[in-house]
Amino acid sequence: MSKLVYNEMLKIVRKKRLWVIAAIIAVLVALFTYAQYRETEELRKRLGTTDWRTQLQQQIVDLQNRLQSPSMSEEWRKYLQIRLKQQQYYLEHNINPSAPGAPTFMRTFIENAIDLFLPLLVMVVAADLVSSEASAGTIKLLLVRPVKRWKILLSKYIALLLSVSLIMLMAAVLSYAISGLVFGYGGFRLPLLTGFVQQGEDLNTANVHMIPQWKYILIELGLAAFVSVVVGTLTFMFSVLLRSTAAVMGIMLAALISGAILSNMVSSWHSAKYLFMVNLRLTDYIKGAAPPIEGMTLGFSMAVLAVWGLAGLLVAFFVFMQRDVY
Amino acid sequence: MRRRAVSFLIVVAALSGALWLGGLALAVQDQFFATAKPPTKEQRPSTAETRQHDEKMDIVALGDSLTRGTGDESGKGYVGYMVDELRRQTDKPIRVTNLAIRGLRSDGLLRQLGQPEIQRQVAMADLIVMTIGGNDLFQGGEALKLDRKQLNEAKRRYVANLDRIFAALRRFNSEAVIFAIGLYNPFGDLDDAKWTSAVVRDWNFASAEVAARYPNIVAVPTFDLFALHVNDYLYSDHFHPNAAGYKRIGERVASLITLTEEGEQ
Repeated sequence: MSKLVYNEMLKIVRKKRLWVIAAIIAVLVALFTYAQYRETEELRKRLGTTDWRTQLQQQIVDLQNRLQSPSMSEEWRKYLQIRLKQQQYYLEHNINPSAPGAPTFMRTFIENAIDLFLPLLVMVVAADLVSSEASAGTIKLLLVRPVKRWKILLSKYIALLLSVSLIMLMAAVLSYAISGLVFGYGGFRLPLLTGFVQQGEDLNTANVHMIPQWKYILIELGLAAFVSVVVGTLTFMFSVLLRSTAAVMGIMLAALISGAILSNMVSSWHSAKYLFMVNLRLTDYIKGAAPPIEGMTLGFSMAVLAVWGLAGLLVAFFVFMQRDVY
Repeated sequence: MRRRAVSFLIVVAALSGALWLGGLALAVQDQFFATAKPPTKEQRPSTAETRQHDEKMDIVALGDSLTRGTGDESGKGYVGYMVDELRRQTDKPIRVTNLAIRGLRSDGLLRQLGQPEIQRQVAMADLIVMTIGGNDLFQGGEALKLDRKQLNEAKRRYVANLDRIFAALRRFNSEAVIFAIGLYNPFGDLDDAKWTSAVVRDWNFASAEVAARYPNIVAVPTFDLFALHVNDYLYSDHFHPNAAGYKRIGERVASLITLTEEGEQ
């Protein structure tokens, strides 16, 4: 078995995909770092201060002003109100939620990458794991060996899990290393608040507690890895089902992008919350942002994702075992 | 060589995988089983951090949509024009903190002043400009809807609130000059202009009376600025000033600032 996994890993390394992924992450992180840098410079110029309390207060006043405008959708108003309460909470407890530093950058990077960017990178590896062998015909060479079929597929799946793990590691290390050049490497012990629970219009702060940023980041990485594994598993399933890698990519891309779009407009379609793609933003729950559909919680989203992932895995194995290869 | 590299990658992947699993476990533990320990409020920002006598000029703007600049396409509002004017006269760096909120009434401003961070900003200010009362009087900005009895009631409450606002501002910052900018009559070209003007005059007089109880609080009139050709200076909502209107207010306030600064020194 370990030989098989090794073999599959070797194939992935040979394709040089991981290098491409590392390069993509590095370029994008550099881009975001620069954008972030410009943003803070701009803010400082506009307010004439680096005092974060003044900046936060200004943001609160801006939010209060936006809340006054009469033409605003209910969801948006709710969202702004939650943000407002959170920021006031930070201010009252003297916590700067965006203290500059590589860890802060890393945290926001993961939060923004979890629903599209990281799954996309995982797809790059997962999409052709089986389909390319099918279309190239090499699958026959694999299957004629005296190894059980499920073992072959399992070795591919384990190789995928290892690759996901590597991608997460690259994202974490690169975002920390590159942004640190500009923002400095400190700030792991910055206290952050989590445990905001949204109840209708209100923000329940009964469960709010403070955790250091390193713990916060570790939690986010764990959640991002979970999301990546689920997306990877579904891609893997399609890779088994379809011969064409392009089709696998197309289907998964459509699903992911529709998730991003749907999240903005499904607030009144309640059963949409059982779709995996609107449940990808797990880190929003940690942050205390309003979920796309009322009633969604971290536990709910994780359960939905787990069910989709398991179902995808079952389908993949079932089809692979039953299929005739000729 | 390649064998080694792949084995190494597998080990690294497995190890980091364990780390992500740990993170996931931490997420479950922290979000579902955490005992709520609300952060203590011990590290209060020191409100004693009062105005620094440095080169910088700190201006704090408080109040309602007029201070926010609603109606001015450029978004500057009278605060922006006032600062433009000041920058022309001085090389001092000027920092503006605009804390105004659209639709704010006197009771809302009083509540806003209860926030510690607002108090800190006020305490650091070298100069405070404010508009308040417009929403107490013209509720919603449509027209003067109140009858005489309601009007007296609204005024009574407004004056009481204003008194507490000024008292609070003076408590947080005993030195900074405060410019309390008065109301104009946005309905000066309508049929009942006579009556609405009388009401606004009366309202402004009451505000000025309250301001006079405190040192260094100056009631700045704007009534005259909008008395003639009111529509030339109003935004399309016929209530807020337009850019030209704000410019006039800003210039008036700016002209007062140089005078008082010189008087101080």
